[in-house]
Amino acid sequence: MRAERLFRVLGLVDPDLVEEAEAVRRNPWKRWAAMAACLVLVMGLGWLAAGGFPGYGSGMSGGSSRPSGNDSASPGASSGSGADAGVDAGIAFQTYAGPVLPLTTAEDPAGLTAERTVTWDLAPGTNRYGETRQWGAAVTDAYILRNSTAEDITVTALYPLAGSFDSLSEIHPAVTVDGSEVRAALYAGPYSGGFQSAIGSEEPDTLNLDSPNSWRDYKALLESGDYLEQALGDYPVLDMPVTLYAFSDYAAPHDAYPAATQAVSFTIDPEKTTVLTYGINGLDSDGNFRRYSYFVPDGIRREPEQKLLVVLGEDIGPYTLQGYQNGGCGQGEEIDGVSCAVTRRKTTLAEALDLACRACLEWSGTDCVSEAGPVTFEMYRGAAAELLSQYGPISDTPMDRYSDGRLDDLLPETLYQDRVLYLSFPVTVPAGGSAEVSCAFWQAPSYSHPCSGAENADLQGFDLMTRLGSSLEFTRQSAALVNTENAELTEENFGFLWEEGRAFAELDLEQEHYYLIIRPKES
Amino acid sequence: MEDGQILDLYWRRDQQAIRETDGKYGKLLHGIAWNLLHSREDAEECVSDTYLRAWNAIPPARPGAFRTWLGRVTRNLSLDRWKSRQAEKRGGGTELLLGELAECLPAPGGPERALEDQELAVLLSAFLRGLSREARAIFLRRYWYGEAVGDIARALGCGEGKIKSSLFRSRKALRTYLEKEGAAV
Repeated sequence: MRAERLFRVLGLVDPDLVEEAEAVRRNPWKRWAAMAACLVLVMGLGWLAAGGFPGYGSGMSGGSSRPSGNDSASPGASSGSGADAGVDAGIAFQTYAGPVLPLTTAEDPAGLTAERTVTWDLAPGTNRYGETRQWGAAVTDAYILRNSTAEDITVTALYPLAGSFDSLSEIHPAVTVDGSEVRAALYAGPYSGGFQSAIGSEEPDTLNLDSPNSWRDYKALLESGDYLEQALGDYPVLDMPVTLYAFSDYAAPHDAYPAATQAVSFTIDPEKTTVLTYGINGLDSDGNFRRYSYFVPDGIRREPEQKLLVVLGEDIGPYTLQGYQNGGCGQGEEIDGVSCAVTRRKTTLAEALDLACRACLEWSGTDCVSEAGPVTFEMYRGAAAELLSQYGPISDTPMDRYSDGRLDDLLPETLYQDRVLYLSFPVTVPAGGSAEVSCAFWQAPSYSHPCSGAENADLQGFDLMTRLGSSLEFTRQSAALVNTENAELTEENFGFLWEEGRAFAELDLEQEHYYLIIRPKES
Repeated sequence: MEDGQILDLYWRRDQQAIRETDGKYGKLLHGIAWNLLHSREDAEECVSDTYLRAWNAIPPARPGAFRTWLGRVTRNLSLDRWKSRQAEKRGGGTELLLGELAECLPAPGGPERALEDQELAVLLSAFLRGLSREARAIFLRRYWYGEAVGDIARALGCGEGKIKSSLFRSRKALRTYLEKEGAAV
């Protein structure tokens, strides 16, 4: 008992000590330094073997301006990737915001060339909250498209944004063509991350999301063009038949039992039946037995009124309804007076998902999906169908995260999962002339949580990809920082030239990735 | 999402708070519960219960160190679950931990005075601040996060022998410290 108390009281020690303990780990730079030393030795030997300077290739072009021996890192650098050593390995930010990506086109842009200038405005108040501190940056990604042919060229321009449905109001993208604002159509790619174990590598579960955490993840995602193709393609059609059980007209002795619970029990053959649910809180399963339960809506708790059992494959056996006292469905906790109406009908999974999506949006109260766009209900429902098909129980490769079939988990996640969103708009470039395209948006920084104890907790990182996923032929790219008096630039590989309050850099078109890390100045 | 924004969601009674908490801290909490229980099912239930506790406690609570606060709840829930499982002899990592922690306890029957939990926690914090940064991290990784000795060794890039030696020295030092402070546990 005394040891137990000591264990519990240890839980009350100062939080900074607890955070520090988690942050203290082997200094990766000792390892990188050792590897870099070996690399230098190997490269040196290779250089000598090749006869000195003439034999030395262009291997450093990707990161040549990175100061050697600096312990900072690129925002997107993933720790632990040996292949990255010497270029931009190091401590990753805990939250990765995604890079600024280049404009591309749906069609082959033959005859067009592009000049690009990306500007980060570091002025405070560029975020949607208008906070007075510096946080993130207002980005303007501007292009001059030139047409060297004798014919006008019209293309469908696609501007990619790393974000999520619910971040769009924060990103607040705006597109102008030749100075006039245009209304862009939105296309959304699927969830851009993967899944990882929640409890360690010894248990190969896929319970947690594994969002993209480096520019390399985006490179892997976008390089082949398959992701863009999926984004522009149709959403899956879920026309498979289902049996839909919908619950309504609830009653329960709420005064006596504030958390009165309704359970519906039945048996299934798991080989022949898959059950999806919405609005259902609990699940007990044992062999073929299933007991789903939910808190009976009382008009007070914020519970979805819509409760659905969606049965794919063979229908469930006869079901029983039973009321319970308080959320538990234990023996002896049964109560009378709990009732509901159940309707059963045959329909399609698409219709059932439609019902659940509408209920989810109503319940969540989110305003990021609206008929006025940019995210319409059809897009949201399509993305949910895509997630369900790709990773849900009906997938060929289902993830543990969704294995219970709870649409309550999957549908809200559709709103905030990372994905690449494409703004689509037509651009006509006159024969022998040019058109100016500008995409402006607010970019969140990559950062580490202030209470994490991470060494980079007070820094903000930004990444830029020069040509990833773009079909355009670039003749020039440059980058600029403005209102730099609000932040101290701690590291970058742009090679900025400084003037008062601003900085400018010409970019190497062969270098695929640039980064900058800033530390806001205290106001 | 920053902790303040997640706490705002709790205060608005928006269940998105749970999802954000899970996305940000689920792995950490599962790790703690797993270290103590070595049962996936039990660990998952403890983490779920942690979210329920958070939902019920916030508001009125608004933890200043949200991550640590959540971890503390998971530790306590895991310990409770471990105790309830003891009769079923389902094991876990907690028994070993408590056995080690027993070495830190002053022998009963002395002139020690009983302390409130918070008073004792202040003493423990002071003791930990007196250790080297590395020894402190090893101690807390073992007895706060419940990590196995081998895992700590891998994380810190040293041998298990060094971790065991450090823990042994720290336990002994804690016992001496508590005796000197006249603190009963």
